[in-house]
Amino acid sequence: MDEMDALRQMRTALAQEEHPDRLALRTAWRSDPAPRRRRRGFTIPLVSVAATAAAAVTAVAVLAPGGSGDGVAPGHGGRGAASGNVLLAAATSAEKAPTGRYWHTETVIGQIYGVGKSAANSYEVDARQRSITWVGQDGKGSLAIVDELGHPVAAKDMIKWRQAGSPEMVDVPNPDGTGVVTQVEMSTQASRSPRTTPARPFDGDYFGLSAEQVAQLPTDAKALENTLLNLRGNWHAVSSTPEKQPIRSLRGAERTRALSEVASTLLSKAPAPPRVRAAAFRMLATLPGVKVGGTATDPMGRTGGVVSMPMVTTMPLGLYTAPKQLGTYERQWIIDPAGGRLLAIRDLVATPPHGSRALPPGDDGRPRRLRATDMPDRFLKTGEVASYQVFAVAEWTNTAPR
Amino acid sequence: MAMVSHTRDDRDDSRIVAASLEDAEAFGELFRRHAPRLHAYISRRLGRTLADDLVSETFTTAFRRRDRFDGRTDFGAWLWGIASNLIARHHRQETRMYRAFARTGVDPAEDAVAERASDRASAAALGPRLAKALASLRPQDRNAVLLLAWGEMSYAEIAAALDLPLGTVKAKIHRARIKLRSALPKEHNDG
Repeated sequence: MDEMDALRQMRTALAQEEHPDRLALRTAWRSDPAPRRRRRGFTIPLVSVAATAAAAVTAVAVLAPGGSGDGVAPGHGGRGAASGNVLLAAATSAEKAPTGRYWHTETVIGQIYGVGKSAANSYEVDARQRSITWVGQDGKGSLAIVDELGHPVAAKDMIKWRQAGSPEMVDVPNPDGTGVVTQVEMSTQASRSPRTTPARPFDGDYFGLSAEQVAQLPTDAKALENTLLNLRGNWHAVSSTPEKQPIRSLRGAERTRALSEVASTLLSKAPAPPRVRAAAFRMLATLPGVKVGGTATDPMGRTGGVVSMPMVTTMPLGLYTAPKQLGTYERQWIIDPAGGRLLAIRDLVATPPHGSRALPPGDDGRPRRLRATDMPDRFLKTGEVASYQVFAVAEWTNTAPR
Repeated sequence: MAMVSHTRDDRDDSRIVAASLEDAEAFGELFRRHAPRLHAYISRRLGRTLADDLVSETFTTAFRRRDRFDGRTDFGAWLWGIASNLIARHHRQETRMYRAFARTGVDPAEDAVAERASDRASAAALGPRLAKALASLRPQDRNAVLLLAWGEMSYAEIAAALDLPLGTVKAKIHRARIKLRSALPKEHNDG
């Protein structure tokens, strides 16, 4: 036996590999247990609950949980005489929008986290991430990500954060419900400017559609819907036995949600021609459960018409095998009819999270519970914004990427 | 129109890293692929408790720096490089454990493990001698030889992970092996 064999026989009991789900639970690497590990508020994957993610999340890759957050209650007022036409007006405008050599987008996704032990003694912070994409006519694109720093949502939150000593890092519950505290890095006078990753190539994949396929989508609303109904994916928010199926096999609100999610991508990230965008708006106007009415202001201060989606959970589609939310939500699109643009999507709290719910046992075999105290939105009230997605830029341009 | 969709499993590591820039969830697949082997390796060097922490820190670091992964090197090598740097910070702790093992015949790294008799038996004879020799190695030499013996990596992979020329890696491993060999009883020296 030489020295290498002798070494290989040393500590062999420690050499046994464990199942990754088990390791994920124990190491909680996403959940930032050590103080020097910091992140900017975004939840990195939960392998255990999302055990099916491998096959499931192609769809989610182009879809962030949406909603737009200006912290203001919804302008969900009466239906104006013209409100029924917001989607159709937007379609008409979208059709006339200019084209160009590049599809350029800037999208900000935000999640609101409550900081503190009780509703009375807490404040809300907004953690954001920005993505910037350019897609050329060959369908090839580049993507840059800006990790933006967190900031208090409203003036009253700013006051409480300052009273707490303007901490650079704030503890927030981990929405994965593992009980491990997560931190959000706040913007302070001392903090660095947001970090931008260098732009890098990315393959456009829009719910399984390539850029080329997106460009060839039907420009008639009914024909577009018919094509999208054939899209295969995991379209359930929660499914213990995930499998790919066409949207056509869904019924009611589930079908509307799947179609609206694809439509929102066609109206934002995807390099869709103006006439395809117009068709997406028109298709939405015909979907059961979609309601038009009122106006609202998006987080960039832009006002638009409100379109409400028939859904109660905003959990991303195709990702989870067990529930991850204890509240119910209303998803609203904010639309600019004159510009033919989708400005933002925001999720408002309908019923705040309360109580708890048993979950199937984890990989360690122990029972688990989803608790309201672990929810980022545990202190939010009905009508407040829990998360959002702002389409700051979404335009065809001849300006080359910088 | 043909509807093409890709399942995540098909993609190689560097594609997943790229996808994870926009979709953080994608990174979980890399954890699934790489964590078990990495965890076993770190456990062997530092014990299981520290291994949990370091695996966590390795993936947290890799996730945070994923924009700097350019795909020119193998993702695994890049990841193990990060892990190696983190392990290096625990050089003294690692050395203390080898020394304690050499001195007492009980390996502190294996404390938490429900040991099987066979492990104990095979390790008993040579373990403390090897541990003593491991404690005396230069950190980088130890790194290289253990990546070979416990990490089951090739010379080329070790060179990539440690960002060293191949020749340097070979020299380090050669030096380490001589030292380890001299720690073994003579009858074991003829292999």
